[in-house]
Amino acid sequence: MHEFHIVVCMKVVPKAEEIRVDPESLLLDRENARSEINPPDMNAIEHALRIKDQCRARVSILSMGPPLFESILRVGLAMGADDFYLLSDRAFAGADTLATTYTLARGIDKIGDVDLVICGEESADGATGQVPAGIAEWLGWPQVTLATEFQLSDDYTVCTARREIPGGYEVHRVKLPAVFSVKTASNEPRFMDFDRKPWAMEEAGVIVWSRSDIEVEDDLIGLKGSPTIVSGLEQAETRARQQHMLEGDPESIAAQLAEILAPFHTRN
Amino acid sequence: MIDALLIDDGLQDEMMGVFGQAAWACFQCGACTATCPWGIVSERSLSIREMMRRAQLSVGGAGGDVWLCTDCGQCLQSCPRGVPVSRVFQAWRGQLWKKRTVESGLTPVLWSVYWNGNPLSQPPSERMNWADGLDVPLFDAKEHEYLLFVGCTASYDPRAQKAARALVRILNTSGSDYGVLGEQERCCGECVLRMGHRPYFEDIARANLEQFRKAGVRRVVTISPHCYDAFNNHYPDRKEFVSIHYSQLLLDLLASGKIDLESTPSSRLSFHDPCLLSRANPEYETPREILAHFDGIEFEELDRSRAETLCCGGGGGRIFLETLPDERFSNLRIQEAQQHAIQTLLTTCPLCISCLEDSRSAIQVENLKVLDLAEFIVSAIVPDGRE
Amino acid sequence: MAVSLYGPEDARQTVCVYLEHNAGRLEDVSLGLISKALELTSGSDWRVCGLILGDDTRKPAQEALARGLGEVISIQHEIMTRFDVSAFTRACFEVILQEKPAVFILGATPDGRDLAGRLAVRLRTGLNADCTDLRLNLETGQLISEVSGFGGGVIALLESPAHRPQMSTVRPGVFEQQFVRPVKSGVIRQIDVSLSRSDLQSELLERSVGERLDLSKSQVLICGGRGMHGEFVQLNALAEQLGGEVGATRPPVDEGYIERERQIGQTGVVCRPKLAVTCGISGAFHFVVGIQEADTVVAINIDPQAEIFNYCDYGVVADAHQVIPALIEALARESHSSHA
Repeated sequence: MHEFHIVVCMKVVPKAEEIRVDPESLLLDRENARSEINPPDMNAIEHALRIKDQCRARVSILSMGPPLFESILRVGLAMGADDFYLLSDRAFAGADTLATTYTLARGIDKIGDVDLVICGEESADGATGQVPAGIAEWLGWPQVTLATEFQLSDDYTVCTARREIPGGYEVHRVKLPAVFSVKTASNEPRFMDFDRKPWAMEEAGVIVWSRSDIEVEDDLIGLKGSPTIVSGLEQAETRARQQHMLEGDPESIAAQLAEILAPFHTRN
Repeated sequence: MIDALLIDDGLQDEMMGVFGQAAWACFQCGACTATCPWGIVSERSLSIREMMRRAQLSVGGAGGDVWLCTDCGQCLQSCPRGVPVSRVFQAWRGQLWKKRTVESGLTPVLWSVYWNGNPLSQPPSERMNWADGLDVPLFDAKEHEYLLFVGCTASYDPRAQKAARALVRILNTSGSDYGVLGEQERCCGECVLRMGHRPYFEDIARANLEQFRKAGVRRVVTISPHCYDAFNNHYPDRKEFVSIHYSQLLLDLLASGKIDLESTPSSRLSFHDPCLLSRANPEYETPREILAHFDGIEFEELDRSRAETLCCGGGGGRIFLETLPDERFSNLRIQEAQQHAIQTLLTTCPLCISCLEDSRSAIQVENLKVLDLAEFIVSAIVPDGRE
Repeated sequence: MAVSLYGPEDARQTVCVYLEHNAGRLEDVSLGLISKALELTSGSDWRVCGLILGDDTRKPAQEALARGLGEVISIQHEIMTRFDVSAFTRACFEVILQEKPAVFILGATPDGRDLAGRLAVRLRTGLNADCTDLRLNLETGQLISEVSGFGGGVIALLESPAHRPQMSTVRPGVFEQQFVRPVKSGVIRQIDVSLSRSDLQSELLERSVGERLDLSKSQVLICGGRGMHGEFVQLNALAEQLGGEVGATRPPVDEGYIERERQIGQTGVVCRPKLAVTCGISGAFHFVVGIQEADTVVAINIDPQAEIFNYCDYGVVADAHQVIPALIEALARESHSSHA
């Protein structure tokens, strides 16, 4: 029988507070930043592993990035994933959403017989949230974004997913294979299983595919395959709080506060 | 009808690892349950005796009670057979980690230790922010006699930061040769151990030992009794370095005349003994000897002191779990201080300070201050002691 | 080089705005986009058109004209009773290829993101997501999108020089709705797209939009502490007014003034709202960790020494009991005048 196969797309991001823009080159200085697994992707793998807890399923990690991703994403193997595919090639570098989703989709094709692709809601660095839809489009599969719960049909061909929308929820039923993104913080990612950890960190073989291993058109990958360019980059004001003290009589303070709060109205 | 009791194989293995031949030492006298501070705050109390029996028989079902233990060590103190009760609790918890049925909120603590090097979800790059404006050198084995291990709470919690700042001001005035690891300092792992994840604790211990070894650390001074206890009693194969608590260092400095006490505070004092400096490590004379260096202070012991101290409630990972208001040990402690008309309650542990400060403001006690011993001393040696 | 289905040379000087609607009304984010598109193109030959899809688009399409659009392209089809990413992508794709706009902008809502992500791939074009500002060079037709990354730590300007349409989704709430005189000659153009049930990708089994308490997702959080002395009525009113939720520190929860689900901090809920207003809160660390990811923090406390003032963007040394009612009134006045 076909083994139910879930691919979780994951990436590594530098810790946000350590990112600096080099004032001269206007490039991001990621070199000196500590890295971690993109936090929303931790929710994605937890959802995949919960499905695996309930039925016989294989969970594979798929990532695109430099070799340094390897040691960090092995954490996913220690959490319970079975395989780890890393798409790594200098030619993949500089990819925007279009090239990234193309490359990941070709990786999923190459893995083959995938039933479910689960992604995090968005990446902490780019925060585009467009990757799940892009992958789904390249693959021609249905998509459900912002999912919080999954329920598979008895024959594993249909998935019912609850998704979160502003102010409420929806329940969708889609035929598999399909692509899902999961709502950030929709679960509490399990810690590493220390019985698996030695295997995961040392022994497990990571399947590294370069450009020639997956069937890609050179025009569609990396910088060449990316329509968007960065024409300017600046360091936003740091998270340090402004600590601006408002002065005046109660009336005037209320008026100042009203002005500050007005943009935050979330309802009409 | 009687429910069948199911033997839990995983628990049995875990418990065998803890007890070994001592498995049957517990003869169910119940002294542990009788002396457990949970009995003071809650009618249902924590039946350690029952849990010991379940542990012996490897029968699960201890439920949420496993997470009540603050690892205060009072039961160990009362046990006539020397049963390692807290190890048993950790083993219970270890089993729940394996089954992934731990209380919600605890897994993120472990992940934070993993990604941030602290259990408080704070950025590692901000670990030295506590020392802003102070001269705190990075450790260099060639220059420094010892490593000051700041610990996570003192690094990030603004209340505890004040204690750390007070301490380094004392060290700087007394010409001490110390350095810190700065952003490279990582959690000692004590909270992980108490929360029952022994394998991860062992990983952390190995990594920290390796870091100390590389840096050439021979002597460690900790701010938190929790780091101190972890280094001294739980780190494996620790031969290269000795670890002391900062109160011991301050006593040395006072005894050797390197600290001049210029003034004597006039308030009525008492001392809250942290569990880990009274029961697990019998260091309770140290703060009292320090206070003896002050002339004419007004000091009164609390009812429960030294080895009979009352836990603040923040140990054993409890600081990461919610405790209902009428079940907070620290409330009792504040009330006790109030009954003795204490004006300044001293202690030497960042978690104790955090819990006691919380209870002090909850009970709305106006004329009681909670101070770290270092804060108290700095106010006696520096003209403008309070920052 | 990846090539889009049409390039700058074939693109028309058109900004196409995707219009989201619900219950016969345009969504706020779409109204903001209309205003921005009109502003970007004002005084030029550029054309701005709306694109609206649904089983009945008449009312919201009219509303778009009333908001100053000269043209709305409407696709009505009986299967489009609700958003379905597959059917909507297909319909939009056809219209875009017919109209060849140089710019296509959408709201970065769940539906907008779903649609934009698929459409950009199908059109082989660039997509900038969750933008916080847009600029348009009317000469070159180049759209410049401002986005923030790394939790807002970095701001980047992005362009798609060789690909059309230039697609961007815009973060809801960043563009204000301007009042614009309706265009008298405004037209609604119906375009037929052949669709069938098989174009729907998913079955919607259930949909519920209502009140559910989840503080971690609240965009606006009004927090009360010990200093409120159990008075949460005003805070509830302020939260209601701003469309937010009320949270609390441990003491009011302990004292039973408010449910424990609303406790914020290390042992409660950790939130990342756009705005947190703390009232009568001193700022203990275990509380502060619950709001430290907030975009903006306003603190009101009577004690000028309170620790919370080290964690706020705006601080008010005053009794919250006095400030909040005045604030509620001031906000009411302001929203009244802006809607008039």
